[in-house]
Amino acid sequence: MNYQFNWSVLWSGQSGGWLLRGLGTTLALSGLAWLVAVALGIVSGAMRTVPWKPLRVVATFYVEFFRNVPLLVWMFFWYFGVPPLLPLAIREWLFDHGAEFWAGMFALGVYHGARMSEVIRSGIQSIPKTQFEAAVAIGLTTFQAYRLVIVPIALRLIVPPATSESLNLLKNSSVALTISVAELTFQTRQIETYTARAIEALTAGTVIYLGLCVGIATIMAHVERRFAIPGLIARGG
Amino acid sequence: MRRILAGLLTLGLPLSVVSPALAQQSTLEKIGQSGVLTIGTRTASPPFAFVNKQNEWVGFSIDLVEQGVKPAIERKLGKPIKLEKKESTPPTRIPLLSSNAVDLIAGTMTDTRTRRESVDFSLTFFVTGAQFLVKKGSPIKSIDSIAGKRVAAQQGSTNARIIRERVPTAKLQEFPDQPAAFQALVQGQVDAYTNDGIQLYGLKAKAPKPDDWVVVGDFFSYEPYGMAMRKNDSDFRHAVNVGLMELIESGKYFELYDKWFGPKSETPYPLTAENKRFLIMQVVPK
Repeated sequence: MNYQFNWSVLWSGQSGGWLLRGLGTTLALSGLAWLVAVALGIVSGAMRTVPWKPLRVVATFYVEFFRNVPLLVWMFFWYFGVPPLLPLAIREWLFDHGAEFWAGMFALGVYHGARMSEVIRSGIQSIPKTQFEAAVAIGLTTFQAYRLVIVPIALRLIVPPATSESLNLLKNSSVALTISVAELTFQTRQIETYTARAIEALTAGTVIYLGLCVGIATIMAHVERRFAIPGLIARGG
Repeated sequence: MRRILAGLLTLGLPLSVVSPALAQQSTLEKIGQSGVLTIGTRTASPPFAFVNKQNEWVGFSIDLVEQGVKPAIERKLGKPIKLEKKESTPPTRIPLLSSNAVDLIAGTMTDTRTRRESVDFSLTFFVTGAQFLVKKGSPIKSIDSIAGKRVAAQQGSTNARIIRERVPTAKLQEFPDQPAAFQALVQGQVDAYTNDGIQLYGLKAKAPKPDDWVVVGDFFSYEPYGMAMRKNDSDFRHAVNVGLMELIESGKYFELYDKWFGPKSETPYPLTAENKRFLIMQVVPK
């Protein structure tokens, strides 16, 4: 490959500022979407295990519908499909206030909520049934049993797969560039536009994603150790 | 952490050491060996390169390659070659070239000084400039009336850059491809879509209701289209240029121009006397 690398394009001119702004948008987008995903995931994951069929049906429908359609399609759905359903005044206001960001956030959050739901359901189903029965036996309602016993235990069990899912969410946030959200990957392309240096810009983006993900994984490894339930999780090493 | 870093470095180092050692084969040698000329072009930039209703990949830029550049290379190599087309977008076209995935970018790429630091360009085969596509009756008339307005652009294009510099108050939204940007205009997410004038005419002609849209404003940029290739390969560049010059000299270029931009085409775009003269003057004597 006869390519002359010129790394200085990454810190000369506006490139550095763009990368930082892109990183900020990626973090805001992923952070908010993560909150939506976790909330939806816990609720629908729990609903899929309750002893009442209508709730299970609703939750199953949500999970299968949202996780089995590509994320890109959801991005277009929330950006192009939803606004026409809103009243004109709200639509115009949204278009003036970063509609693409919110569309991207919902697309990511709702899609990953469906995937998170499966992680949480598997956590709940790995808890012996007797725990739930014991909770109900001491007088808790089903809702209380889930809120006080089942879900807290499940959350402590699912840290490793939930971390994986969260990292996926962070990386998938780059799909939002298709609806013009100026996140990190978008900004690496921006640098390419101004400098015609695509390989350097993409490398910078790769290194930042890698750094972010390794950082999050390291933090989550600590969380996992701190919240592991003694006796329930075999500790390796 | 240190172990992780060391691991990454050992992974990365051999790559960076090995790559310059790969044999530097000239593009003509490569085409001669494989018998294939691979071009990077577009799938949705009518009338330069697009997939038509019959599902054929056609366009003005593709015709220039097929009828001008390819014969010139064949003559130079003394044997027939095949033409292969690959999709290339503004952010991918230069990497596609430098990684040898394609030999020539023939789409709608503007020749700029910055880009010439990374790739070489053929002579200019089309001249246009940026304008705006808006809904009929829109208050936007030119670059002077877009302050505070939501404007879509194609990412990686030169027009977005000019708007950012000249009208920083315009709310610029950049989409990776033309269909998404146009959809945003149709639905009102944006008030205008800017791109090279000729591409806007192409888009308008392909829209479900072409009469609902107007192209407005004077050119606010100068966009000379060239075919891009790997840097420092003057034999290949010369062959490409000879192909284009012969097209212009023989008049074939103007027939093709008429086919794609003539009054009977879907995107009438008259060739000005000035541009015609500019094209002809690029042809150097035999």
